Amino acid sequence: MKVEKHKEKALRIERSLAKCVASDYEIRIEAAMLAATHWTNLAYHAMRVTPDNVDILHSYMLTINEFRRLSAANERLIALLAEIEDLRPIYVRGDLPGGAAIADRAVALLAEIRTIALAAGAG
Amino acid sequence: MIITSHLEKIERLNDLRARLDPNDDFELWFWSTMVAGTNAVNAALHHAGITPAESAFPSQPGVYYVPGGSPSDAAGYKPVLKAMGDVLHVGRPPIPVPVPANLQAMMKAMEQIEYFRDPCTRGDMTINADVIGGCESAYQQCLKLLEDVLSARPA
Repeated sequence: MKVEKHKEKALRIERSLAKCVASDYEIRIEAAMLAATHWTNLAYHAMRVTPDNVDILHSYMLTINEFRRLSAANERLIALLAEIEDLRPIYVRGDLPGGAAIADRAVALLAEIRTIALAAGAG
Repeated sequence: MIITSHLEKIERLNDLRARLDPNDDFELWFWSTMVAGTNAVNAALHHAGITPAESAFPSQPGVYYVPGGSPSDAAGYKPVLKAMGDVLHVGRPPIPVPVPANLQAMMKAMEQIEYFRDPCTRGDMTINADVIGGCESAYQQCLKLLEDVLSARPA
């Protein structure tokens, strides 16, 4: 997907995310993952690390070889996406308490990814 | 997860679905629908005695977070290999034993929803009334089937 479309999709998801409340923590985490994935793809496309027609689906679905290559290009970016993804098993698919605070963390990680992506996109 | 937790999530996800606009907020409306429907399938599988209702949460097919007891574990949970448990999505992992017809129908309904997952949330497939209506209809069918399953005696 082209960078412009990734940006449009990420911003659209973030607009919907703003309608969620604290008790919607599963979808706040999922929204952070979805929007962050678009921003991450935008950033790696903008850096010419990945082509427009090759998008990351999840960091954990990458080969180790590709994960290391993306890390070499921008280690923080892929690590942030992985950190959001790692929140999902226990708080989206699990029933441990504290989901609202964890969702706040996911949204903060998304903000950091967005900042990296916008800087890469402007470069 | 246990059945009451699946049902509690469905209730909160339905509350969110009602606050989202299926057109303007399609991605999160769709994702809420898909997550709620998957919880319904898992609750039905537990009720039928096909998968265990337990404190084990899937991260990928065959890998589940279970109580670990070590301070270094994520929230006290650690990943272990397990053959059967909650599905992440219908078909991930496949259920390797015979499934009653009503549960098969629930899974079929969820497959209709899952069809739109990547094209509409990660791709740029056009979102229109047919897509929204199809997802809504399949989801309501899934919920009705769950209601029927839960009103029957547990296996």
